[in-house]
Amino acid sequence: MKPARFDYAAPGSLAEAVTLLAQSGEDEAKILAGGQSLMPLLNMRLARPQLLVDVSGLAELDYIREQGAGLAIGAMTTKRALEQSELVKRRQPLLHAATVLIGHPQIRNRGTIGGSMAQADPAAEYPAVALAMDAELVVQGPDGERCIKAEDFFVTYLTTALEPAEILSEVRVPELPAGTGWSFREVARRHGDFAVAGAAVTLRLEAGRCADTRIVVFGVGDRALRVDEAEQLVDGEAPTSGLFERAGTKLSEVIEEPLSDLHASADYRRDLARVLTQRGLAEAASRAS
Amino acid sequence: MAVEIPTELEDLPTSKPHWIGREVKRVEDPSLVTGRTEFIDDVVLPRMLHCAILRSPFAHARISKIDTREAEALPGVLAVVTGEDALRWSYPAVTAPEGWGTHCIATDKARYVGEPVAAVAATSRYVAEDAIELITVDYEPLQAVADPFEAMKEGSPLVIEEKGSNVMLQRTFTWGDVDEAFAAADHVFSEKFRWNRVGANPTETFGAICEWDPMDLNLTVRGSIQSASNFGLGRVATFGLPSNRVNIISYAHGGSFGGKGGTRGTDVACLLSRKAGGRPVKWIEDRMEYLTAGGSQAWDRHYEASIAVRADGVVTGLRVKLVNDIGATGEGFGAINTAKPLAAFTGPYTIAVAQYDLTLTASNKLPESPCRGMGPPPHFFVLEQMMDIAARALDVDPAEFRRRNFIRADQFPYTIPSGNEYDSGSYEEVLDKALELAGYAELRRQQAEALEQGRLLGIGVASAIEPGVFDLNVYSVVGMQGTGVPEGATVSIDILGMVTVRVGFTLEGQGQYTLVSQIIADYFGVEMDSVRIAPLDTRSAPPSFGPGGSRLGVAITGAVLGACERIREKMAIVTAGLMQTEPANIELMDGRFRVKGVPGAEMTVAEVAGTMLARSDLLPPGIDPRPEATHVWTAPGRAPVDEEGRTKSYLTAAQAVHVVLVEIDRETGQVEILKYCLCDDCGTRLNPATVEGQTDGSVVQGIGAALLEEYAYDDEAQPLSTTFMEYLLPTINDVPLIEKVAVVTPSPFAPLGAKGCGEGAMHTTPAAVMCAVNDALAQLGTRATEVPAAPHRVWKLIREANEKPQGA
Repeated sequence: MKPARFDYAAPGSLAEAVTLLAQSGEDEAKILAGGQSLMPLLNMRLARPQLLVDVSGLAELDYIREQGAGLAIGAMTTKRALEQSELVKRRQPLLHAATVLIGHPQIRNRGTIGGSMAQADPAAEYPAVALAMDAELVVQGPDGERCIKAEDFFVTYLTTALEPAEILSEVRVPELPAGTGWSFREVARRHGDFAVAGAAVTLRLEAGRCADTRIVVFGVGDRALRVDEAEQLVDGEAPTSGLFERAGTKLSEVIEEPLSDLHASADYRRDLARVLTQRGLAEAASRAS
Repeated sequence: MAVEIPTELEDLPTSKPHWIGREVKRVEDPSLVTGRTEFIDDVVLPRMLHCAILRSPFAHARISKIDTREAEALPGVLAVVTGEDALRWSYPAVTAPEGWGTHCIATDKARYVGEPVAAVAATSRYVAEDAIELITVDYEPLQAVADPFEAMKEGSPLVIEEKGSNVMLQRTFTWGDVDEAFAAADHVFSEKFRWNRVGANPTETFGAICEWDPMDLNLTVRGSIQSASNFGLGRVATFGLPSNRVNIISYAHGGSFGGKGGTRGTDVACLLSRKAGGRPVKWIEDRMEYLTAGGSQAWDRHYEASIAVRADGVVTGLRVKLVNDIGATGEGFGAINTAKPLAAFTGPYTIAVAQYDLTLTASNKLPESPCRGMGPPPHFFVLEQMMDIAARALDVDPAEFRRRNFIRADQFPYTIPSGNEYDSGSYEEVLDKALELAGYAELRRQQAEALEQGRLLGIGVASAIEPGVFDLNVYSVVGMQGTGVPEGATVSIDILGMVTVRVGFTLEGQGQYTLVSQIIADYFGVEMDSVRIAPLDTRSAPPSFGPGGSRLGVAITGAVLGACERIREKMAIVTAGLMQTEPANIELMDGRFRVKGVPGAEMTVAEVAGTMLARSDLLPPGIDPRPEATHVWTAPGRAPVDEEGRTKSYLTAAQAVHVVLVEIDRETGQVEILKYCLCDDCGTRLNPATVEGQTDGSVVQGIGAALLEEYAYDDEAQPLSTTFMEYLLPTINDVPLIEKVAVVTPSPFAPLGAKGCGEGAMHTTPAAVMCAVNDALAQLGTRATEVPAAPHRVWKLIREANEKPQGA
């Protein structure tokens, strides 16, 4: 388990990193952030870049800032920093709840929000947060900066809308509107494992009826999925257990055939999506006002 | 000289033990926790090379051609070996059953994924791994067999063609009139069970540095080796060397639990060293190698069990049919895992007759290895589920059902139908204490209350035996050679009264250096700090087997006490000479040799030792002047195995009762352990802290086996559990607080009354957790018969139970 030979660069700035990527051929360079996914792939020789561009030391990408009513988070901000941030706890409870489900303290000490988003593992927590919160992902490339909405960013398994010479620099998470209830739940084989299935839910109550419901499930498809059919079923209805049961069932009926592996059959994953949606809706409703 | 080993603390030459029985700090720890203990990967030898092994990606494939030229040409590569070298320079591995071994590198075909096909020695592991990518192998894939029932069918692909069959062993042991017992029974209950492959996972994988001396034909292997002398004999056989030309130097290692086999990699590195002109070659097994091709896997089992029960709830007979898929060869000695259940076949119960129908088959999976518990844990999982099935059918509380069937305290020593003798026990007392600790009645109340709220709680009460201090005799039933496992120690007191103990094993984690220090300190009345342990290589050490089979704590206690007794006898003669009296008038007490009945006429141990080594003018004629002695201990009262496999195989029988409360999420199938309580009795607790540590670790391992761990393969025998993302070990988040209480019933036969306790809770935990799971599932009319009880399996059971029409 030793990596194949590669060159290593630790650029001093984001601009320099982009230049290095632009100078490399397609698929020749890989960006190293916290290394929690890339390093094992290198050691198993499943990833064989010619050049490793290490951006983990870029202080300019390590920040948590208020931006309007939301937060702007530098891509190299560690999960541990997000976990411990009072700002995140207070302003982004769903993001905080998701963060503590990721790995263990040792992993969160190194793993970054940008690395996790760019890795786009379908069972990872952060892409689901991005989708549920309607986050925007800011990327820097040779032609400057562009902003990608979460729903456009995650394409499929381990694939994002990033171009080869682009680097994710910031994640912008809007504020939850006042009175919004939220829930973030997953079933993992052990605490800290990638989810077998998970659900992120937000909703408001308007005159005793559900409104602006967002339901995102992850671990059950090729990426985190927002499920409109289930959301529509909930909006405008009174928050009852019967309603949430129907929404869970609806969701499990409309999602595509989930992955089947050692830890879960497709049927089991589908049913977990149902259960977690139902429980997530109930929890979000209990927090909504 | 006949030496009597004290079996009671009162027999020690001390008015009151200061060290034995106390929770002393471990002498191993300062060096371990400050990172100063040297492990094999820390060792760098001059001119050392690094080995990487090219492994088969196919479970079954003929190798038609290997081209190593490009690898040989890579700068930094010193040697490349293939099956040709293995054929030229080595023999097939020694196995159990005999004759199921192959060479350490595939010679004609690969028989499992991960089997070595070629290997490289280079100036670094990086270069070596680069080089194995340059080796081209032409494979002709063959149909693989991944299931024992397929393997037994006519026309199945043969794993080792020359054997003509995939059945390694088929044997039925019958102990007593089993047919009669079942015919006469008021009830007979039967069930099938599946125990999936699990195994040991030490913190450190296996590693070795192999050095082939081309001039003197000596082979030196340094490594993280559990049982050095047995390991050495294996290399003697593999390379056809005289036994005094193989020297094994075992380094401190990070656990083993049976997984530190490492023989293939060692033999490959030996071949490389020979080919590289004798340069030392280091092979450090990486975790993926360990998980897919190391000593990692055990107990791939399919069971059918029946019990015969009287109307009053007494179990009168047990039948167990086991089909165990051993994997491609017998080299890992996985087969002996199926022999050990004979040492405790009927558990803690008075079941009078039993039958064991045993089939071992070969497949294209990794050869099985030992694992903590060595086979009984799955057997007890089966037995304890059967006990609960019977109890439930008879509407008897599971704790009460066990009480009715326990061997009573006044029945010991007790010989079980499969031949082993249990030394002592107080099973009811252990049960009572465990139930009290758990608040059993209150747990049942909580369970009923939870059910009203729609929650699914289950309580498991399970009991098992931990056979301790093994002898190889019982393993002969599956073709294992050898009848004894001696353990020796040389105790040496120097001219200033400091004590050195030379042993044949190294640090593995169980705290035996501490134990040896405790015994010496109490025996000779010195501080523990005055004792040093010197681990020796196999060429220098007294006969030693090392850790394994829950024996070393007891065996080394016997060896050290024996050596101490021999020294005492010598010193008494010297003291008698100095005091001008007879040796019979001299006694050792609290570190002093004194003349009986003459207060003040005494010498310290240090004074006697100093006299022996410095004042030859004062010694009695003919005395051996060394304050030193060696004693080699073996378990007393062993006997040959009879035609039904019966023998006194294990000297001690520890017993435990575990009480577990679980909650099952009826929608997701997740099992959560809410409460874990146990009471155990392993006789005298020489170092209670060590016993507790072993118990905690073993419970965790048992929880892993019951709920998480599984080496899965697909139908083509491709391994699916290749990293720790698939092979799930319990983490701190998955383990409940373990509440413990103890009963102490000393062994009448073992040194100081201590029983083997190293494997411990692993015998009981998987059974107890599964009893709890099934106690919960019984409320839905279903049961789990497959471990691990992973959530997807439990979910499926619940769903099927929900779909069943009521009353069906």
